[in-house]
Amino acid sequence: MAEEKQTGRWGMVIDLDVCTGCNACVTACAMENNIPWVGEEDAGYGRGMHWIRVQRYWEGEYPEVSPHYQPVMCQQCGRAPCEPVCPVFATVHSEEQQINLQVYNRCIGTRYCANNCPYIARSFNWFDYSQQIPTPMNYYLNPNVTVRRRGVMEKCTFCVQRIYEGQERAKAEGRVVQDGEIVPACAQACPTDAIIFGDLSDPESRVSKAARNQRRYTLLEELGTEPKVTYLKGEGTYGG
Amino acid sequence: YTDMPEYSQIGKSTYYATTCRECPAGCGIIMRTFEGRAIKAEGNPAHPVNRGKLCSRGLTAVQGLYNPDRYKAPLRRIKRGEAATEALSWDQAIEVVRSALNGNPQRVAFYLGLNHDHLFDFVTELAQTKGMPAPVRFGALGMFEARATLVEATRQVLGKATFPFFDLAGADLVLSFGANFLETWLSPVAYSRAFGDFRRRGQPLKKRGYLVVLEPRLSLTAGSADEWYSIVPGTEGAVAMALGKLLLESGALRMPVAVEAGYRSVNVEAVAQAAGISLEKLQHLAQLIAQAERPLFLPGGGALGHTFGLENALQILALNVAMGRVGQPGGVFLIAGEEKADSFASVQSLIQRMQAGEVDTLFVHGANPLFELPQSLGFEQALSKVKQVISFATFPDETSLFADYIFPDHSPLEGFGYTRILTGTAQFAVSSAQPVVVPLYDTRATVDVLIAASGLPYTDEVDFIQRSLQPVFARSDAPELATFWARFLQQGGYWEETRQTSMAMDASTVPLKVLLPEAVEEKTFHLMVYPTQMGDGSGANRPWLQETPDPMTTVMWNTWVEINPKTAEELGIHNDDIVRLVSSAGQIEAVAYLYPAIRPDTVAIPFGQGHTALGRFAEGRGVNPVVLLQTQTNAAGDLAVGDTRVRIEPTGKRRPLARLESRSGVYGEH
Repeated sequence: MAEEKQTGRWGMVIDLDVCTGCNACVTACAMENNIPWVGEEDAGYGRGMHWIRVQRYWEGEYPEVSPHYQPVMCQQCGRAPCEPVCPVFATVHSEEQQINLQVYNRCIGTRYCANNCPYIARSFNWFDYSQQIPTPMNYYLNPNVTVRRRGVMEKCTFCVQRIYEGQERAKAEGRVVQDGEIVPACAQACPTDAIIFGDLSDPESRVSKAARNQRRYTLLEELGTEPKVTYLKGEGTYGG
Repeated sequence: YTDMPEYSQIGKSTYYATTCRECPAGCGIIMRTFEGRAIKAEGNPAHPVNRGKLCSRGLTAVQGLYNPDRYKAPLRRIKRGEAATEALSWDQAIEVVRSALNGNPQRVAFYLGLNHDHLFDFVTELAQTKGMPAPVRFGALGMFEARATLVEATRQVLGKATFPFFDLAGADLVLSFGANFLETWLSPVAYSRAFGDFRRRGQPLKKRGYLVVLEPRLSLTAGSADEWYSIVPGTEGAVAMALGKLLLESGALRMPVAVEAGYRSVNVEAVAQAAGISLEKLQHLAQLIAQAERPLFLPGGGALGHTFGLENALQILALNVAMGRVGQPGGVFLIAGEEKADSFASVQSLIQRMQAGEVDTLFVHGANPLFELPQSLGFEQALSKVKQVISFATFPDETSLFADYIFPDHSPLEGFGYTRILTGTAQFAVSSAQPVVVPLYDTRATVDVLIAASGLPYTDEVDFIQRSLQPVFARSDAPELATFWARFLQQGGYWEETRQTSMAMDASTVPLKVLLPEAVEEKTFHLMVYPTQMGDGSGANRPWLQETPDPMTTVMWNTWVEINPKTAEELGIHNDDIVRLVSSAGQIEAVAYLYPAIRPDTVAIPFGQGHTALGRFAEGRGVNPVVLLQTQTNAAGDLAVGDTRVRIEPTGKRRPLARLESRSGVYGEH
């Protein structure tokens, strides 16, 4: 049983009723995952490398106008549209973690995966941005995460380095991973605790319970991608 | 690969508890370090302010520590305003400070920022010992939040000159009058955390909290509100009075005695008219308040930074009193700590002394007055009358460019210290700071420099900190100071679980008289300058703060002017057009952003960019809106930031803004 518990189906629930759209998740993700910045001009051309972004939609007209925020990252699809189009198997499904992984040193930069991703969740490293980080700013780069080069596609990994670390720690201590023990950087920083992360294969985990909420929906459900990220509608606008 | 290389790292991380000193809130951080390098800032789960959470600014603290443009050693500037410098040894530096301190004590001045409490305590002691004027302590966040006004209003209504703490998590209805508590107000992470609890349905029957925001421009905070009313800037207090009157009429006031007479004379229709909110909406709000079990009213910087700012603060706080919310769960509490920040007025008097040639030496630490203060105040001209300016800046900023000497302090992550918790909790709490890495450069703790130069009887900074923490040690159950100190550093500070509940309250002194601002003239606009994730502007040198999109506009790396699309159409302005804003104090040019959620008679501009010095990531980027600000103050001595009026002129030039929304196509315009 313990063996089985180790192979989780990692999932996430984002409660849009408490998400304030503050973007702390965006910064936290960048600092954890060695995501380089691209500068004003390239950001203006849409080459920003954010693995997670907060989409802001406007509804209505002044003065009855209100925004809605939605953090979007790789949805870790069960049937991922990015996977079958990669000619070199750089975007693969991890059997063990049940998430989608990008193998950077396989990627040859065809960008087919990004074109096929309906969530615009992938970012492409156009100009070796990480090589432009001036010394000594490279000191803070996380040794647990690859620093990617030019011509490579990258995206959210659910902080897979933290998943591995948590599993290794639990294994060394001869126990199973506790619920809430492994948190990705975005969920860890989120000031309102809008992001819940955990094991969906355990029906009693916090994330499983939250995913059963009646406000649940997944992004572009009709495409049949089986996302691992569930959103909970905001109550103010959509009704409970 | 079955095991990718990143999963098999050799070595172990070490974690240090310290305090975030990016803003005065004092969140606890646990810094992950690896082989002597600071890797990632994470929240301290045990800390009473942030409970493991962090904001964008705190998360990018390492980009300040490892910024390539830092000052690396003591310097003497050859000529003020110019880049050329010559190197100095620390012995020479201490000699310079010593002779400055040994001069006429009345002619020495200290200008300190809001973040370093231990340094402020040391300088206060130094000033008392030597007979110098007390240090001036001021920062841009305090200016935009009108902190001194809030403290003065609290003194008048609750009987103690300190910050109030609003128990958002326990309230079921919150009316925020211009308090952007999810962004920068007082203690944003603590209030964001509380907002999560406020919103979430709890067990067994906790209602979902309902948030109403009244402010002229929809901020991120208002974006999370259930209802937003774009009232005229400066009418917040009047609206609070009108609500009081409606509540009085319907018999819903829970403690009417003190305030009844004041409310009786309010003309609700006139207020509704002046504030730009319909009578029906006011009645609806009064009904919401009457039905709420635990309503709470927040006096934010948007309401306080006006000529009637103090009256606004009093009137909003009075609603809390009238609804019986003082010292109650989900209500208003007095904090346990003492407030020591100055108002804008003390800065003005320092500038007068400088102008009159009464200051020989000005010491500056942790503040950037040349960037933060309205230019019409004349700080730059006053600075030229000061014989000697000594800056302790860690980073080349506008002010240190005009300093004769730069004796760089350690970066906050390399130094010791403590922060009194004044805004994020009502509990008694002192947060500890310790070095998480060995200092990178030949910098020195400012307290150490001042001890060496002044001869005050301390061996070093740590000795001073330990001795000034004696009263805190006395409160703890630690048997000896060494034990207390070890726990203090290891846990990230010292805090107590209980909070003060008993307090005097006296709403009878509240001048409950409706005051309404003058209407704007034809073709002029209210100007709103608001702080962003850049904080007091010092965040602009962090590339990842620059590239974290502004939550409302998704603009990165620049300054924009928010204009209502209807107004823009009338003026013939399109997105990405460069417009000129002209006030009586000055003028700037910035790129227009058509913002659908701002009053048509108001324009808003974010603060934090427009640096002429702050390293490669900040310089020459965007504009600094303080150029436009007038120097009128309110009754508490704070700057009436919100009373500036501007004209808008098209320039015919265009410059596209870098916007995230263009990339993901969520707006559909590009």
